[in-house]
Amino acid sequence: MKELELHRIAVIGGGMMGRSIATRVSQAGLTAVVCEITAERAAEVKAILTDTLNHWIDRWAITKSEEKAILSRIEFTADLDRAARCDVVIETIQENLEDKRDLLARLDEMVAPDVPVIVNTSTLSISELAQGLTHPQRIVGMHFLYPVTETRVAEVVRGQVTTDEAFEIVRNFARVLGKVPIEEFESPGFVATRVVLPLINEAVHVVMEGVATAAEVDLCIKLGYEFRTGPLEWADRVGLHKILIWLEYLFRETGDPKFRPCPLLRKMVRAGHTGARKGTGFFSYDAERNRLDRLPDDTPRLA
Amino acid sequence: MKVLVLNCGSSSVKFQVIETSLEMIEANSDVTLAKGSVERIGMSDSRLTLDVPERKPYQEIAEILEHRAAVERVLAALVHPEHGVLKRVDEIEAAGHRVVHGGEKFASSVLVTPEVEEMIEECVVLAPLHNPHNLRGLRAARGLLAKVPHVAVFDTAFHQSMPPHAYLYGLPYELYTRHAIRRYGFHGTSHRYVAIRTAALLGRPLEELRVVTCHLGNGCSMAAVKLGHSVDTTMGFTPLEGLLMGTRTGDLDPAVLPWLMAMEELTLAQLNALLNKHSGLYGISGVSSDMREIQAATAAGNRRAALAFEMFCYRIRKYIGGYAAAMDGIDAVTFTGGIGENSAPVRERSTTGLGFLGLELDAAANAALPFGSAAVVSTPASRAAIVVVPTNEERVIARDTVRVLGGVMPSFSVPGTEAPR
Repeated sequence: MKELELHRIAVIGGGMMGRSIATRVSQAGLTAVVCEITAERAAEVKAILTDTLNHWIDRWAITKSEEKAILSRIEFTADLDRAARCDVVIETIQENLEDKRDLLARLDEMVAPDVPVIVNTSTLSISELAQGLTHPQRIVGMHFLYPVTETRVAEVVRGQVTTDEAFEIVRNFARVLGKVPIEEFESPGFVATRVVLPLINEAVHVVMEGVATAAEVDLCIKLGYEFRTGPLEWADRVGLHKILIWLEYLFRETGDPKFRPCPLLRKMVRAGHTGARKGTGFFSYDAERNRLDRLPDDTPRLA
Repeated sequence: MKVLVLNCGSSSVKFQVIETSLEMIEANSDVTLAKGSVERIGMSDSRLTLDVPERKPYQEIAEILEHRAAVERVLAALVHPEHGVLKRVDEIEAAGHRVVHGGEKFASSVLVTPEVEEMIEECVVLAPLHNPHNLRGLRAARGLLAKVPHVAVFDTAFHQSMPPHAYLYGLPYELYTRHAIRRYGFHGTSHRYVAIRTAALLGRPLEELRVVTCHLGNGCSMAAVKLGHSVDTTMGFTPLEGLLMGTRTGDLDPAVLPWLMAMEELTLAQLNALLNKHSGLYGISGVSSDMREIQAATAAGNRRAALAFEMFCYRIRKYIGGYAAAMDGIDAVTFTGGIGENSAPVRERSTTGLGFLGLELDAAANAALPFGSAAVVSTPASRAAIVVVPTNEERVIARDTVRVLGGVMPSFSVPGTEAPR
């Protein structure tokens, strides 16, 4: 596999993660081809992304002309074949083994064998996803931490049969995006997810046991360890249903009770209180996902 | 000698071919044979334009993915049988390059050697937005024009004559020795050129004059040029300090920054963008970063645009006074750059009330000055002159290239004035 020049990057799936990756790709000067299942959905993704960028302008993050430049390097399409002709292909569809396997099987034939296919996952097994493909050696795992436009790290994961060539292209790609690549071998939850989940789960336990309120637990951890948000607000922003799925997966894979989801978490997901997007999780949020119920002590530090 | 002048940005390459020599510099008779640019490098629709005097501008659109390809394209256009100005590439006898930041390493323009390239690389940490692109263009050109000498001309070099009491900040001294945090100043080629032209226009030697030069363009800075040496300038460690600019704050209480980061929960990237891209004329007026539009909106009664205009001119006036003090007096104020050359209202408002310094504007001459001309616009009775001079940084780069090769390039450092180590 030769050293590839990266120009066009396919992002399959225009969800929150897909849009964030596409934006970062464009900011790095490359072209992102965002592929969705229908043309209507592709147009919708473009509208949502434009909304996000407009919000950034209001927050002084970018200018109007930078927004224009970013959008000029993102194509929105429902044509998987067009996406398959890129220099790197990233899938960012739902974290579900069957869906991802179906997509990878389709891409197997469409994508040239020397083009790496990146599976964006925080928990699934790269080797299992690659199993049965004609070209399993070019499947590389990558876990971007959200928001992709801000976090400075990406986990780059080798599967059982991933070649050094494919891995190096993806590691270089992470650098092009301005990320520090952390080289990892396949293991459930990799590093970032595996380390953070017990913290969140424990915080939920503490709340369930009535040791302290959710707001106080979060404030304690946030101020005590200088986190930007506490673990419960962070979980709210990710979506509690996702946290639950990850915990269940890690519990199943490892059998380790430290990953057994706290019953309160399960109860909240069943009640539909899944976090910032729904307006209610451990805390309440407005339509812009600003948190509404901060404690009086939860103020910026000015001195 | 035909000199290729290159100015490489992140996604653009600006170029000129200038015929010059030591004799032509003396006679101020250098000739620009062609100029142009490559824009949108890295895109599939990059655009090359070539402007040759008395010809229709030539343009081509093509995929130009990086700087080397851009310089290749420029050379091809220059020898194009129909649109070009050269028969062969080897008619180019030297190349001059703009480099934004020379740190404390460069107090003069220099011949590029592998060691010099390495030293420019070491300055990247001081100008992460500019030097990498300058360097990329420099390397591409050295690869493609391997047989000719290349000269680097720094924006900061002219200001290396500033004394430590002008360039140091009131921070712990270790931060200067450890990180070289100090005022560097920018637009040095422009300040130097217009100071020289000012002296020529006044028919007096620069070595006898105290000139305040105002480079007012996209970025704005002023310099106090005393007897030919820059002794102070408004831009500092970065081009953010000093005057109000199109989208930059200029001077600001540094305590505002941590306060804003906390209260608005801004990231470093947001804070940088806020200060550099959302502030200045644009941030105050909410109308535009373009002075012409600010003036139009002011005329139409927009009060915030009027305020932006007033803030812009007030800071210039304040610095003129400050620099008169820094130089024990003042003989001339020179305006240059897009705004300085074109906006009569800015020149008028910025010099209003400075009669006590001997500066009296001839309002009629100022208002009637045609675009792109060099002239004195103060009254005959004015003790100090108010001057407008079109800047020409490319010409300075070409001239310095000739000077370096001819062994007559002066250094701007003033021996014996270094800060203690």
